[in-house]
Amino acid sequence: MFLVWLMAVPLLGAIAALAAPDRAAKGIAAITSVLTLLGYAGLLFISRASINWAWIPEWGIRFHLVADGLSLFLLGLSSVLLVVAVFASHKDAGRTYYFWLLLLGFSTAGLFAAVDLFVFYVFWEVLLIPVFFLLTGWSGERGKKAAMKWLIMNLVGSFFMLVGVVALAVIHSQNGGGLTFEISQLSHMSMSSPVASWLFFAFLVAFAIKAPLWPLHGWMPETYRESEPPVTAIISGVLSKAGIYGILRVMIPIFMPQFREYQMWLLIVATIGLLYGAFMALRQTDMKMVTAYGSLSHMAMMALGIFSLTQAGILGTTFYMVAHGLLVGGLFLVLGLLERRTGTRAMADMAGLNRSAPRLAAYFLFFVLGTLGLPGLPGFAGEYMIIQGLFVSHVVFAVIAGFVLIVAAWYMLRVFQAVMQGPARTSGIKDLFSGQVAWLVPLAGLVILLGVWPAGITSHAVPSLYHAMNLALGKGGVR
Amino acid sequence: MQGLVEILVLPLLGAATITAFKGLMPKKLPGIWASLLVAVSFLLSILADRRVATLSGSHHVITGVLWNWVTGFGAAIHFRLYLDPLSAVWLLIITGVGALIHIYSIGYMHDDAGQPRFFAYLNFFIFSMLLLVLAGNLIVLLIGWALVGLASYLLIGFWYERPTAVAAAKKAFVMNTLGDVGILLGLALLYIHYHGVGYPHLFQAFSQAKPGSAFFEWSAFLLYVGAMAKSAQFPLHMWLADAMEGPTPVSALIHAATMVTAGVYLMTRLYPLLRLAPITHELIGAIGAFTAIFAASVAFFQQDIKKVLAYSTLSQLGYMFLGIGVSAYTASVFHFMTHAFFKACLFLAAGSVIHGLSGEQDLGQMGGLARKMPWTMASFLAATLAISGIPPFSGYFSKEAILGQAYNSGHYFLWGIGVFTAGMTAFYMFRLFFLTFLGKPRNQKLHDHAHEAPLVMTIPVVILGVLAVVGGAFGGWLNGWLKPAFALYPGAAHAALESGPLFGTIVTVALAVVAFIVAFLLYVRRDTAPKAGTEQAPGHWMLHAWGMDLVWMAIVVNPLKLVGQAMGAVERTILAGVTGLAAGVQSWATDLAPIQTGYVRRYALSIMVGGVALLAYYLIRIGFIS
Repeated sequence: MFLVWLMAVPLLGAIAALAAPDRAAKGIAAITSVLTLLGYAGLLFISRASINWAWIPEWGIRFHLVADGLSLFLLGLSSVLLVVAVFASHKDAGRTYYFWLLLLGFSTAGLFAAVDLFVFYVFWEVLLIPVFFLLTGWSGERGKKAAMKWLIMNLVGSFFMLVGVVALAVIHSQNGGGLTFEISQLSHMSMSSPVASWLFFAFLVAFAIKAPLWPLHGWMPETYRESEPPVTAIISGVLSKAGIYGILRVMIPIFMPQFREYQMWLLIVATIGLLYGAFMALRQTDMKMVTAYGSLSHMAMMALGIFSLTQAGILGTTFYMVAHGLLVGGLFLVLGLLERRTGTRAMADMAGLNRSAPRLAAYFLFFVLGTLGLPGLPGFAGEYMIIQGLFVSHVVFAVIAGFVLIVAAWYMLRVFQAVMQGPARTSGIKDLFSGQVAWLVPLAGLVILLGVWPAGITSHAVPSLYHAMNLALGKGGVR
Repeated sequence: MQGLVEILVLPLLGAATITAFKGLMPKKLPGIWASLLVAVSFLLSILADRRVATLSGSHHVITGVLWNWVTGFGAAIHFRLYLDPLSAVWLLIITGVGALIHIYSIGYMHDDAGQPRFFAYLNFFIFSMLLLVLAGNLIVLLIGWALVGLASYLLIGFWYERPTAVAAAKKAFVMNTLGDVGILLGLALLYIHYHGVGYPHLFQAFSQAKPGSAFFEWSAFLLYVGAMAKSAQFPLHMWLADAMEGPTPVSALIHAATMVTAGVYLMTRLYPLLRLAPITHELIGAIGAFTAIFAASVAFFQQDIKKVLAYSTLSQLGYMFLGIGVSAYTASVFHFMTHAFFKACLFLAAGSVIHGLSGEQDLGQMGGLARKMPWTMASFLAATLAISGIPPFSGYFSKEAILGQAYNSGHYFLWGIGVFTAGMTAFYMFRLFFLTFLGKPRNQKLHDHAHEAPLVMTIPVVILGVLAVVGGAFGGWLNGWLKPAFALYPGAAHAALESGPLFGTIVTVALAVVAFIVAFLLYVRRDTAPKAGTEQAPGHWMLHAWGMDLVWMAIVVNPLKLVGQAMGAVERTILAGVTGLAAGVQSWATDLAPIQTGYVRRYALSIMVGGVALLAYYLIRIGFIS
């Protein structure tokens, strides 16, 4: 029932926020998000919560949601970031803003829990809408442009996926298995190799656009730049994971032979993206853009973990998704707090802010260190497992990934030092209010917990992953 | 875990409480509280070491698992702690010398507004360094390894409004990340091969292996890269000289006595692996010897009191790695120990000088301070004699042990470099001593205001000075103490202290004495200016560290910038493509939907149409619709 809670509460809260007056909206959203998180906490005590209702029986579509080891922690990530994003939002952002934000929480929860491919697709489409409106409504004319690019590229991706979804179900039924969209059923069927290859790339394009993975990241710079910081945090922290999660949840069980066949190309393209994001991050002059391109590089790191087709790599990606979501989400929110105080994002216009805002600087540094993969914080654990996996599969990619960690240290510290250190040139800014510390402290605590105890996630994720990988084993398997 | 956790947690507690409550603490409390916690940690370390010593059998190891760090892709990696005689030595030095430097800092930092932050960082450093040496596997070691790097970063950039300090901090962090990645790759390699990264597990496996395979060479080399970065071995040495931007107690604690010796710790810890990787093992010794002589040459003409000491640290680290390269493990640890005494003493005494001269670090402004600061001068002199290898001061014994073993094992060339470097060391150290404390004051105004440091600073300096004098006496004890650690696995047959040939000792000491006389004649008799000798060829290059910064820029940084520029061009193309796509869809949608119903619906519609066409194409393609 906690799964129902996880979806129903944000949905009802969204409606309530819309109905309420503007000044009450944030309060309603805050209560809703905290209630959602409490529901999620309940989920942690249940071994494998699920919902399985018939939806459209004649097409074999079932409203089937599961909180297994794969989805459980992403559900947690989206619940946590929803709370944080609500708390970090403007008090006077208006009721529609909170309506869309909560709706976004609803759709990500549905997406991560769905194990029926059709339901997965529906949520995949649904979440485009709140993001679109969050982009258009609060960021002016440039935000509208960004929203357009976001929508167009993602719709293109969605249609590739729709083709894939329909085709898989139809092939399954033609094989005599009956019409179903259940991923675990679809993964057992046989397909002719050319068809499977076409479908493989259809799904891959859809997921790669969402993540985004190079070279399909064209929507990313403007969207990240123009969105409100809490929205950026959710897009980069949660929605980007939807792309990677899709690869894990949908593609690994179904398309293992294709992964094997194209592995080298996948690894090469992802590695290009890894280097590309890092070097682009090094060139940016806008602090938000450094983080955006750094995130592009990290998404490529997650893709590499999967493409290594090893237990360590795939487990590493599963863990790194959560770690990166918390870290990059936190970082974008801190950048938002900073931008609100300085009115600029250009690194050249800021310096030495540490003196006037030491607490803000400390949290900034914390998330910077996490993002650059400092051992002891969770980003490192994920990267370690991924690199371990790459080592098993192809050493050269492990070495390149290691090199990128050095570049990451470089570009992340570059932002921190440019903004916070050096001789102060401008007048000081206000330090964090205690209300802001109130949500930063638990977030930082959670990050530290995951950093020293990654097994808290990995030990839970393993059975589900092995389940997915065992399905895959018959078709080439992972090492 | 028999007290290990307490040793670790106390300094962390200090860092946390000072950070959280610094607003409420009276001005002097952070320093006292931080020093107290480290001192208690020191006492607990002594107790823990006694427990290690009294353990029965040959093992002498306390170990235990705190929790599982990660599970799921093979053998679980634990969060494991481990104390054996080797880590015990580091434990004592870190907490002991650390406590002295904490106390000294109470005086040194007393009028700095960032004092609480300073002590929080310092305590955090002690915690990280203890984690590094108490780690029971390579992952926990790497976590400690990176956290000391972070502490070093924070403390180098402590005065964050100085651009030079900020740049130095970043350089140190990035270069050390290179080392971290080396360790990461090395341990990944070992994990894949042996399904575990715990020390006993790995070393047991190494015991049965035959030396010489590429696998062992690579894993040893990758781990050595980590040691190189942290211990500033050539060519990853540049960050250490720049790190002198930090407050002087930091230079003493982190960039001389403890953190930079982490590489020595790691390599001695991994002696069973070095046995299996003869090429890397030789390389360690060769690079160590080169670093020793290279850094000594750079130290020759430095104008900044801390820069001389920084390069001398580099040079002494070179000696320790030379010792590792010739399997003189106990001698390396011994030299680490005496070096911690005399170098911490030198840095703290230099700090007192800088403090007494209101922040002046330029040797050109010093001179004649002996009478003004007698205690500092005496300690500095003792430590200078120690580092120069004059018997019976501590450095003589440990350096002799390393050189003797280099000779005994047939590394005559490395031995020769080591002996020659010993002479160079005596020269530049006495140059430093004479320029600072003897001769005429070169800046009368500063000299008039110079004063001896307060007791809270002088007492730690004197204690370290005494240790620098008598530290050599610990050699015999250390030899016996470390015996069980090096007896556990094969590969340390020559680990114990050995004495070299008599003529070697005579040559080394004679060179040092000659160097002393030359320095005396030049800088006391003739009162040569500190700048002399740096105008033309060798002196100029020596002063500028042989241009290594430029070399790095040319072969690493600039090519990377070019790659970045090329990628920037690609990015413009991609973004232009997407903008074109958006504009295309927009105009297409306008054609298709003459009724103006709001653009969202228009785009949705246009994409729907496109999508259906695409769907149809696909279905035809895969043979649904024939």
